[in-house]
Amino acid sequence: MDSFAIEVRSLNKTFTTKQGFWNRKTKTTVAVEDISFCVERGELFGLLGPNGAGKTTTVKMLSTLLLPTSGSATVLGLDVTRDTHKVRQRIGFTFGGARGLYGRLTALDNLRYFAELYGLEPSVSSRRIPELLELVGLTGRGDDRVETYSSGMQQRLHLARALLHDPELIFLDEPTVGIDPVGARELRSMVKNLVAMGKTILLTTHYMAEAEELCDRIAIIKKGRIVALDTPVALKQHISGDAVIEVQIKNESAALVLECLHALGGQVSIQVIETPPLQSISIRTAEPGVVMEKLAPFLNPQLIQGLEVRNQTLEDVYVAIIQGDKA
Amino acid sequence: MIRLLRRYLRLYVLEAWFSYRALFAWSTPFAYLATKLGFPFFTMLLFVFMGKFVGISDPLYIVIGNILLLPSLNGLSGVSMTIGNERQFGALSYLLGSPAPRGPIFLGRALFHILDGLITVMVALPVAMLFFHLDLAQANFALLFFCVLLIAFSSSGMGFILGSISLVTRDGWMITSTLAMALYILVGVNFPVDLLPGGLELLSYCLPMTRGIMAARQALAGAAWVSVAPLIYGEALVGALYTLAGYNLFLFIEKRSMALGSLDAL
Amino acid sequence: MRKWSLRLVWRQMDVQIRIRTLNWYTLLIFILQPAIFSGVGILLSRAAGNPVPNLVYTVIGGGIMGMWSGLVFTSTFDITRDRRDGTLELIVGSPTSLGMVEAIRTFTNVVAGLFSLGAAFLVAMLVFHYSLVGIDYVGALVSLFLIMFAMWCIGVFLANFIAWSRLTGAVADLLEIPVAVLCGFMYPVSVLPGWMQAISAFIPIRWALQALDASLLGNSSPTLLLQNWTFAVLLSLLFWALSRWLEGKVHDRIRITGELNSI
Repeated sequence: MDSFAIEVRSLNKTFTTKQGFWNRKTKTTVAVEDISFCVERGELFGLLGPNGAGKTTTVKMLSTLLLPTSGSATVLGLDVTRDTHKVRQRIGFTFGGARGLYGRLTALDNLRYFAELYGLEPSVSSRRIPELLELVGLTGRGDDRVETYSSGMQQRLHLARALLHDPELIFLDEPTVGIDPVGARELRSMVKNLVAMGKTILLTTHYMAEAEELCDRIAIIKKGRIVALDTPVALKQHISGDAVIEVQIKNESAALVLECLHALGGQVSIQVIETPPLQSISIRTAEPGVVMEKLAPFLNPQLIQGLEVRNQTLEDVYVAIIQGDKA
Repeated sequence: MIRLLRRYLRLYVLEAWFSYRALFAWSTPFAYLATKLGFPFFTMLLFVFMGKFVGISDPLYIVIGNILLLPSLNGLSGVSMTIGNERQFGALSYLLGSPAPRGPIFLGRALFHILDGLITVMVALPVAMLFFHLDLAQANFALLFFCVLLIAFSSSGMGFILGSISLVTRDGWMITSTLAMALYILVGVNFPVDLLPGGLELLSYCLPMTRGIMAARQALAGAAWVSVAPLIYGEALVGALYTLAGYNLFLFIEKRSMALGSLDAL
Repeated sequence: MRKWSLRLVWRQMDVQIRIRTLNWYTLLIFILQPAIFSGVGILLSRAAGNPVPNLVYTVIGGGIMGMWSGLVFTSTFDITRDRRDGTLELIVGSPTSLGMVEAIRTFTNVVAGLFSLGAAFLVAMLVFHYSLVGIDYVGALVSLFLIMFAMWCIGVFLANFIAWSRLTGAVADLLEIPVAVLCGFMYPVSVLPGWMQAISAFIPIRWALQALDASLLGNSSPTLLLQNWTFAVLLSLLFWALSRWLEGKVHDRIRITGELNSI
């Protein structure tokens, strides 16, 4: 038995489309370029990246919905292009959003339908479906038509659908998109329970806090390539400094403060955002004390409107990587 | 005042163009021709052979009638599906939530479908000449093309009524599709309307397209404007009434949809 | 791939009927539209001076139109709707093949089309006093079964064709009327010019329908029926074989282009 749940080697996906009415031009889009990574069994692996980075394309290749242009990938030891049927029997997947359910049918009917597609015996599905509805917090709503569900409920129903056949590996593509904070928290709790049950999960998300909370390891993908891959803690330490000082200062004083900070050279990494009539200066540094000493002369309520010293978050790392400050 | 008129005109034309491209753009010339001409051509063939079976040896009445129905299919289906498609694609809320006046925006949506109808007929006529030896030597082309535009305009009025129904049902396009089929019986496409039973004949004269098709047939035979004037006035009046009814129905249902929250429900 | 089972068939039919068929508007396709074709046929008869239409071709032929139109419409609609709703991805991603799902759906659509035919027979009998005297019942029933089989085989082929891409979906939709023209749904095939009759010889529905018409008109002979049935079965099986071949190609193609959820 392979030790890895997912093994990706130099995976590529290119889309070719034709545009134009009379003079048709061929346009090639490289969605995923030469990515490689492995996911251990029982791991919760995160894939982060901006819109259009290639996260969903990667998930779809691994869940056999897209054929790679080149490269290879195995899921639970099975090749995703050659052993398609076997892979599908052992994985579950959800894509974010309200699509993918038959609105005119009830939740129960939707689940029964998909249970049949996954070859579940009636004795199994009749037991499993109520269990799953309870797991996702939809007990008592099984007989309601899905079109009456809120988006959060539909997303939970999707999760139930993905778990029908008790898969070993689950792909969750932006599972909390468009869900309110309470609903998202409940969903994250369900995801943690699944990992505790021994499932392997590959999660894509935009929400840094979610990735930081849930993921054992994270890969950051940018323009189809993996630009960073490590645990959240290691990723944070990878970027210069482990503290962030946020200063809101009046426009007229900003130049002077920045001059002082730039004198520190490579000890700091500075980002400035205009928020008229103020400027927000974000300073990443391993030496917060040195920076505070430089800022001391300016600690005057007439000049500095806000000051916060905090630990670096995953969002800081992500922004730095995606914007190319540090890789 | 001038500025307001210019704004309305811009809305009328530009909105129409963007809407037409967004909702009805065909990816290739083949897809355009197949959809616009392919289906009607084969439907016409079916009726020609049905006519041949019962003893109608000259198919030209059927051929001409089916060609003249083309602009009404543009007006009817195109306009009604405009509203339905906006809803399907999720853009309807944004459109109705904007401050733009409803008149130019929605009435303008007929514009390119009407022009499209004229183009479709201009393509279909040579095809009929080739396959069915249609003789256009006597035709009054100016009058003919005017009648075609009129048919497209008057049927777009009915399109607005059906499009309004799309605001309250996700399957409104099925009603449109069935009604489009019913036109083959009701508006003098395959046989004169006086062959219809009494009630249906009356219904036929209450519909747009009937008088327009009659006038267009006469134009093909070389009739002058003055001889078809009553038919043209009648068609224009019916078209205007349907357009007014459709526009007002749309406004009424829009308000109701907002009260019921059904605007974006699919 | 997952093997078929009666349970899968039942479940898929159940979903298909509830989502597509038991819908007032779908019934418009199955009943009103064929009524319109029959209406045109009846009025064309009057225009030609025949007050009494040929009921087999004009009225019952309308029922056959309804079966076929309903099948093409629902098959195109199924895939398009699944694409739009995002369920196509989920079906393709399941262990049950899309081909099998489409085969069961198409079968359901063909069976549902019997509404049209039943309604046409009722109208013929109640309104036009069509008499069942002299009909070859066995010939008619077998021929009807073969029409359904032929429509199912072509329907499955079309479903795969439609799934290939959005463009082919539009093309498949266009085939509805040409098939009706070529197979003589509402007139005998002999009305067509020779070259069109030659093309229609490759469509199994034409042969099964010829046998049905002959049986209903009381013109059937064992030789005629056997000949028509043989052609119907062989050509249907050819379409079925083409579908099986196309299924694999479609499965790969839609995963290369990624058009599973694009409208």
